[in-house]
Amino acid sequence: MRRAHLLGLGFMTPALIIVFLFFLAPVVLTAVFSFTSMSSGTGISGGAYEINEQTLRSLTDRGFPKAKSEKLGHDLYRIGEEGLGAVEADFGKAFADEIRAELSGELFEGRRDLERELKKLRSRPRSIRDLKKAADLFKRSVLNTRFESETAFLDGVGETGVELTADDQAVLVKTAYTGWSWTTANYELITSMASTWRAAKNTAFYVLLTLSFNVGFGLFLAITTFYLPKGQAAIFRAIWILPRILPPVLYVMMWKWLTWDTGFLSIFLSNFGVEPRNWMLNSDINAWVCIVLINGFVGASLGMILFSSALRAIPPSMLAASEVDGANRWQQIRHILLPQLQWPILFTTSYQTLSLLTSFDYIYLSTDGGPGRSTEVWALYTFHTALNNYGGVLQYGLGAALALVLVVIGIAASLFYLRLFKFNELVSQPRIEQ
Amino acid sequence: MRILLDQFTKTFGATTVIDKMSLDIESGEMLALLGPSGCGKSTTLFAICGIHRMNGGRLLFGERDVTHLPSQMRNVGVVFQNYALYPHMNAFDNIAFPLMIRKMAKPEIERKVLAIAELVHIEGLLKRKPAQLSGGQQQRVALARALVREPDILLLDEPLANLDAKLRLEMRSEIRRIQQETGISAVLVTHDQVEAMSMADRIAIMDQGQIVQLAAPKDMYDEPVTDFVASFLGNPPIAFLQGTVEGKTIRLENSDIVLPLDAQAAKQGNGTPIRIGVRPEHFQPEHPVKISGKISFIEEQGREELFDVTLSNGMRLRSVQANGGAFRLGDEVSWGLAADKVLTFDPSGRRI
Ligand SMILES: Nc1ncnc2c1ncn2[C@@H]1O[C@H](COP(=O)(O)OP(=O)(O)OP(=O)(O)O)[C@@H](O)[C@H]1O
Ligand SMILES: [Mg+2]
Repeated sequence: MRRAHLLGLGFMTPALIIVFLFFLAPVVLTAVFSFTSMSSGTGISGGAYEINEQTLRSLTDRGFPKAKSEKLGHDLYRIGEEGLGAVEADFGKAFADEIRAELSGELFEGRRDLERELKKLRSRPRSIRDLKKAADLFKRSVLNTRFESETAFLDGVGETGVELTADDQAVLVKTAYTGWSWTTANYELITSMASTWRAAKNTAFYVLLTLSFNVGFGLFLAITTFYLPKGQAAIFRAIWILPRILPPVLYVMMWKWLTWDTGFLSIFLSNFGVEPRNWMLNSDINAWVCIVLINGFVGASLGMILFSSALRAIPPSMLAASEVDGANRWQQIRHILLPQLQWPILFTTSYQTLSLLTSFDYIYLSTDGGPGRSTEVWALYTFHTALNNYGGVLQYGLGAALALVLVVIGIAASLFYLRLFKFNELVSQPRIEQ
Repeated sequence: MRILLDQFTKTFGATTVIDKMSLDIESGEMLALLGPSGCGKSTTLFAICGIHRMNGGRLLFGERDVTHLPSQMRNVGVVFQNYALYPHMNAFDNIAFPLMIRKMAKPEIERKVLAIAELVHIEGLLKRKPAQLSGGQQQRVALARALVREPDILLLDEPLANLDAKLRLEMRSEIRRIQQETGISAVLVTHDQVEAMSMADRIAIMDQGQIVQLAAPKDMYDEPVTDFVASFLGNPPIAFLQGTVEGKTIRLENSDIVLPLDAQAAKQGNGTPIRIGVRPEHFQPEHPVKISGKISFIEEQGREELFDVTLSNGMRLRSVQANGGAFRLGDEVSWGLAADKVLTFDPSGRRI
């Protein structure tokens, strides 16, 4: 390699490191997570073995014999050294020794059986309550007990006296394992769950509507301010840039204040006998209108700036020429201005599509997907699934799979746009020639 | 069509750029608006086509008063200095634009565009975008676009300024040919006197928002009404000498040079200051009224030679002579003026 190449590589290194750390690594990790069953239940490190009510139910679903799973759920009482030690500590050596002598090694199916036997002993405690307590000390149950390793778990199960075939054992171990495991179930879930389809539909709806509003309103602003006197145009542009430079939380707060049932809209409309209501979350349509407007006004300012500068690059003599040629305002916009905005419009459209696909901050802050989940877009759905929901069960694996779908769509769209723009040509040739 | 600009006034804010100017463009003539930069040529042009509103006066196209009509409603064709072609349309669509805007029928548009393209010799280029055309070709497209709707008047704002020397020469005669073939009234804005002289039927010389003189090129060259006009026309330019009338002679300032120009001297009273203007072709070795000086500058122009002769009082005369003279820089020479061609001006610059 030539020295110059090395030098170039040297200069590129920081950028490469950044690309790797902040783009490639997260994507790769997301891809990895998406093939696991990680959730807040499993944790992200290893797991333990535990049988609980949930496990018992799923065991039956997976063909584990019902009789055996019922037995696993029952408490057993086995007279062993462990229990004897505890009895000695709580009720004295005499009682412990007597139990050891009379009942050592025996197994009872229920507490009552054991209690009955204990009552027969001479050095038993006098009160029934203490007797029950003593009996409990021999309770040996796998239910709700955590075992750190598979062997400990199987030993524990063995103590219950349930006979397991090899198949039973495999199912039991797999079901009782609380940690994460490798799986493709997330992707199967994505295609089968109704909620993902709803999120996909919401996203398409959101992107389409907001994009149209963004570009349309941006165009409208750019063209109207283009025809205004300079000073007024500057003021108007400044006003429409406000949503963009306002901190999102503040901006959305203002919207909430506007639409709350005790907010401006309600108070204002109550003068006309309209019932106060939450105008943002009152209905699906209201929520969508709010979402599109909130995002639309923010996005419109970007379009407006791009379009305005493109318009100002048009030589004044070209506008004069079109007027002399007989074109009225509308024809001038239609035949002269809009064709010259072709590239900025395409650029804004593609750029906004990508950012709208992945952004959900304003939705999160305003409706949080509500009412119900009617405005929950894919990105927000991912966020809710993986990181933040009311149920408290965070499904990291499923969330990662959802996120990866977005990444793939985003990359595909970017490649498509790059082709569409024929980037090299765009860079090498000015779009507004004279 | 006859175009009449009557008492036209134009102000930008507090500054009056053009004050009560009147201009009469005859039907079928090409009138050149000639003047130094900033004198208001473009402003006048933009007022005629309606891009600028007039602050006073009237504008008549024939009998029609168009003073308050927007440019869309006036029937004018304009060729802008930078051509102002629409970059996203090909040459055909550019030319067709004024017709398309009028919702003319497609076949009719096509017929007209092809006819006009033939007139300006760009039949083969109609499919190209402006960026794929040379400067001269763009110029022709702009001209075709201005002409295609058969305007009442054709306005050309420095149409040749962006072309190279050779193309400029070619387009000069082309524009003139096309204007004469169509018989359209035209206004040509230029600050190049050669252009104005060679293309226009009449020249209006402008200075600081006023028309100083309006005449045919030859008349204006021979009979300028002021020293400004005299100095603006002619290349190399006219040379001026300051002096005073002494009887039947003129004595040059700060010197004992006395010129026996009795015809000119007779126009002013004895002792009054006077300026005389001598064009280079009227200061030649063989002319009778001799005047001595030293050759201070020589410029070879191929076919002819240009000399600057500095007199003893520091004043300078210019002479253009056909090649072959054996004069050198620094030579003392005694060349003569053509007495009947010398122009005289009073101290305010007015011709006498
Ligand atoms: N929009 C404007 N605002 C203020 N002053 C203007 C404006 N347009 C032109 N002027 C002034 O009006 C005067 C005449 O301008 P104009 O463009 O007509 O000159 P011109 O004769 O065409 O000069 P050039 O040969 O340089 O094109 C100039 O002094 C110029 O500064
Ligand atoms: Mg000008």
